Formats: sequence, C-alpha cells, structure tokens
Amino acid sequence: MTILNLIFKEIIHRKINFILGLLAVLIAVALFISFFTAGQASSRETTRLMRDMGFNLRIIPKKTDMSKFWMAGFSEHTMPEEYIDTFASQKDISYNHLVATLQAKILWRDVEVILTGLEPERCPPGREKPPMSFEIKQGTAYIGYELAQRLELKKGSTIDIRGKTLTVEKALSESGGVDDIRIQCHLRDAQDILNLKGQINEIKAIDCLCFALTDDPLTVLRKELDAVLPEAKTIQMKPMAEARAQTRQLVRNVFAVIMPIVVVACGAWIGVLAIMNVRDRQQEIGIMRALGYDSGRITLLFLGKAVIIGLLGAAAGFFIGTAMALNFGPGIFKVTAKAIKPEYVWLAWSLIVAPVFTAVSSFIPAMIAITYDPAVTLREE
Amino acid sequence: MVVLENVVKTYRRRRGDVKALSDINLQIEKGEFVVVCGPSGSGKTTLLMTIAAMLQPTSGSVCVEQNDLYTMSIRDRAKFRAENIGFVFQMFHLVPYLNIIENVVLACRCVSPLSAVADGKGGQQAGGVASRDSGAVKANELLKQLGLAKRAFHRPSELSAGEKQRAAIARALFNRPKIILADEPTGNLDPDNAASVIGYLSEFHHSGGTVILATHGTEAEQFADRIIHLHNGSIDNSG
Repeated sequence: MTILNLIFKEIIHRKINFILGLLAVLIAVALFISFFTAGQASSRETTRLMRDMGFNLRIIPKKTDMSKFWMAGFSEHTMPEEYIDTFASQKDISYNHLVATLQAKILWRDVEVILTGLEPERCPPGREKPPMSFEIKQGTAYIGYELAQRLELKKGSTIDIRGKTLTVEKALSESGGVDDIRIQCHLRDAQDILNLKGQINEIKAIDCLCFALTDDPLTVLRKELDAVLPEAKTIQMKPMAEARAQTRQLVRNVFAVIMPIVVVACGAWIGVLAIMNVRDRQQEIGIMRALGYDSGRITLLFLGKAVIIGLLGAAAGFFIGTAMALNFGPGIFKVTAKAIKPEYVWLAWSLIVAPVFTAVSSFIPAMIAITYDPAVTLREE
Repeated sequence: MVVLENVVKTYRRRRGDVKALSDINLQIEKGEFVVVCGPSGSGKTTLLMTIAAMLQPTSGSVCVEQNDLYTMSIRDRAKFRAENIGFVFQMFHLVPYLNIIENVVLACRCVSPLSAVADGKGGQQAGGVASRDSGAVKANELLKQLGLAKRAFHRPSELSAGEKQRAAIARALFNRPKIILADEPTGNLDPDNAASVIGYLSEFHHSGGTVILATHGTEAEQFADRIIHLHNGSIDNSG
C-alpha cells in the first residue's frame, strides 16, 4: 500500500472535503487567470489605442519659440538629421518608435498646405517593436482629405511640388483636423522640396509604458534627452500620456486589491478544510502511528493530498478562468473584446504555484496531525 | 522480555495532575499471556500504551526485548513498534476507506525489508520480507484462518463487530509480532465473538507469542498465565 494509493482512496472516501478543497483552488486560479487574461488583453488593447492616438512625445530644437511652435504646429528651426541616429542608438532610454520628421507650411497650387516628411520608425537596440504608423516610400505621397477633394487627387495621381514629382499612394479619409490639409511624403523627398538636406525639425516618439502613476515621466524623459541631445527638448502630450498610464494602472489596481483577498480567503479555506480533515482522521492517524508509520509518512499523506488538490484545481481553474475571460472579459474590459486569448504560459505557472500554495496552506494541519498523541486518540470511543 | 521499572505516568491537566501509573514495577516473560484487570480509569490503557512505545512515562524505564524504548529516537521507536508489536483495540480502528485486505496489508508498509532476515526468521516473517504481492497472499491466508476470506474486499462499514475485530487481529498478526497488546478487545462484542477473539489470541500465545490483554471482564482469565490487577494506577497483586 503506497502513500499515493492511500491518498487516492481517502480522497474517494471523503469526496466532499476533497471537492470543497478543489473548489477553493479552482476559484482562486480561475479568478486569477480570468483577470490576468482579460487584463493582459486590456493592456494590449490600451497600447494599440494609444498607438492609434499617435505619438505622445515630440523632440524639437531647444531654441524653438514655443509661441510660434504652437501657432504653427511645428518648429521653425531645424536640427541635424544625425540627431536621430545618435538618439536611436541609446540602449537605456524611455523613448521608443522614433520618427525623424521635417514639416513646413508651403503654398502649393494656390493652397496653403503642410508638407510633412517622415522617415520609417526606429527603435532603440533590443526594444524593436512593430511600427505604429504606415511607412511612406520615397517618391510617394499621402494626401489629406480636404486637399484630395479640392484638387481632385486620388490614388495613382501624379503631383509636382517645387519640381519634385510624387505619386499619390493614398487619398486619406476625413480626419477633422489639420491632417486634412497635409501632404505626407518620405523625409528625403521633403528635404529635397524644402531644400533642407540633412535637416529635420522634430523627432516624434512614444514613451516606454514603464512609468507608474507616481513617477514624473517628463522629468525622466527630459533628463535622458539632455544627456544625449542637449540641443533638443521634449514636449509631452500630457492628456494622452496620462490617459495611457491611468488605463494601465486601472488593471493593476484590480489585481492589487482583489487578488490578495482571493488568495488569502482561499488559503484560509483550504487550511480550515485540512484541519477538519485532520480532526476526522485522528484515529486513522493513531492506528498508523501504532503500526509504525513515522511522522514523515503521516505528513506526506496530508501534503500529498494538498498537492493533488492544487494540481487538479490549477488545471481546472486555468480552463475555467480562460473561458470566463473569453466570455465575460469583453463585458468588463470593453475595449478588449478582440484581444482576449488564452495565455497558456499561465497554465504551467498555475500547475507550479497552486500545489505549492495548497501544500503551504495544509502545512499547519499536517503538523497538527503528526503531533496527535496516538495513545489518546486510540483510547477515544 | 518486557521490563518496567519504577514507571510513573502523570497527565497534566488544567484542573490538576492525574497520576495514571504510580511506580509500576513489572516483568513479563516471553510467551506469557498476561491479563491486566481493573475498573475504568485504573490505568490499563496507559500501561499498554507505555509498553507499546507510544506513551512516554513521566519517569522510570520500559525495556522490551532488551531495548530501552524511551531512549530510542522517535523514528527507531516507530520501527521497533512495527516490527515487534501488534495491536488490537476495543474500537477496532480499521481505516474506513480501505477494504479488509488493504487494512491488513497496511502494516506491511512499515517493516524494513531486512529486519526479518536479520533476526533469522526468513521469509516466514511476513511484513519484513513480504513484497507487495506476497504481502497480499499472506493477508489472504490470515483472513482465511480467521474466517474472513469472503470479506476480504469489503469495507469495514460492511462488517459486523465480530468480523471487524477479527480483521483487526489479522492486521495485528500480519507482521508476526513478538507481542500483541489487546486493549479491551472484547468490549464491543457479544459472548460468542468475544470467545472467538480470545481464542485467536490464545492461539498466538500457544505459537510462542506474548499477549498482554487489558480488560475489565473475566472472559480471558481462563487463558491467562498471570493476572495483574490495577487500581488507581498501582498494581494490587499479581500472579
């Protein structure tokens, strides 16, 4: 008769105790997995939404007159294009998705337009991520809605700006903003058109999503920029950045408040069940001691059962939690409907952590079991 | 074989100390059938548990087979108990979720594979050398001898009191112990079953085993080599 054999037979005999224990682990794991799965999805969705909102950091020449900058929407000064090479090669910066930009207001076909030259995005070493924005090829242009309507431009149209010929790649849909009068082209083309070779007047960027609400991101970001590019300064689009951080923090807060309560409650639940189990089995423990079972084997009987409860509860909890996240997640985290998917790496973690958790919860009851005096329990009628 | 010298056992209780055994000096020879008599609370069970290496006396020494039990480590004491002592209790104490044969084999788990060989009893010494399969064979034989062959795969809850006690005797005999300690083994049985249980213990005694039986009845006295009367934790007289 092996210990494992004894454990399984006891489980079958005292089904209710086992099922209640299993239920405790299952609920804890299911809640954790459902919150985590939906929370992860929420985080991914937040990132995507923020990406869609655009860059929230703008690096411009330090000498920029901010009054003029806000009136025009861009800096009247330029800086060397090499600045982005220098900055993008830094490993420990909190910036990402760096885009070298050159903007200017020009008169084209009797219409005032904003010409914006963009280079493909760059990421610091080791933090490569998919680009947030579309890439513009040299010789092509994206035309704002208002311009396309007024000048009857569409995909495939050829335009000439100050002697530079570009093919319209896309006529953009209405944005309701300044983008409707913007012509976007590759940075090289814009530099040719504006006769500003090797110059840019802005680096667009996004912060690293690594700041807590208590941090002052702008101070950190400016310090980092000063250390590398003292001739430039950073502007943060605060409402956008704060919305982003707050959304992320919301999910963390749910975890921080609810999960400890769930874990403590389930731990206590399992502990109480284990104590009840030990009390029920006093005489059985007594006879085993009388038959020569030592403390180690008695402990194994209880901890082994706890580990089995942990393993089964973790497996069932993972699948139920994932199903909950898939079914109810979109209702709780409104923006995550499409982003929720099973996080299988957490199945492995659940199978490791839950048995340890149940074993720890059952440890004191197991110790109580081995301290029972068999001479007393065997005497009881 | 069993020697108790100046054994005192005092239980510490909130309302004051209770002296369960008071200066017990006792020697029980190998192969003796000893009945310990006395009213409830006289210290019979305490005496048995002390001899069983399960209850450390407050003072004094207990030697079984020349082993001073309470100078041994807890682990060694458990091993000694598994190899040398069988138990029969008034309440049977069968494990409820195991069938009868599993209850009998339960004792097998605890005896070291070498012990029986080492003491020269070879393969006949059940638990010691029994593999799991031979353990089951031996348990079946025992159950057959005790008239429980048809009950081997029944749960304790499906057995009568007499059958349960016979199953408990089979478990006690499984490791071929040197001593059987029986605490009121007939207390829950009708006269026929009581006689049958005492008969099995007597058989063990005749095969060379030592029996120490605690009871407040008189049904075992005719089989006893010696009767010890306990009163308030002290031996009144013996022999």
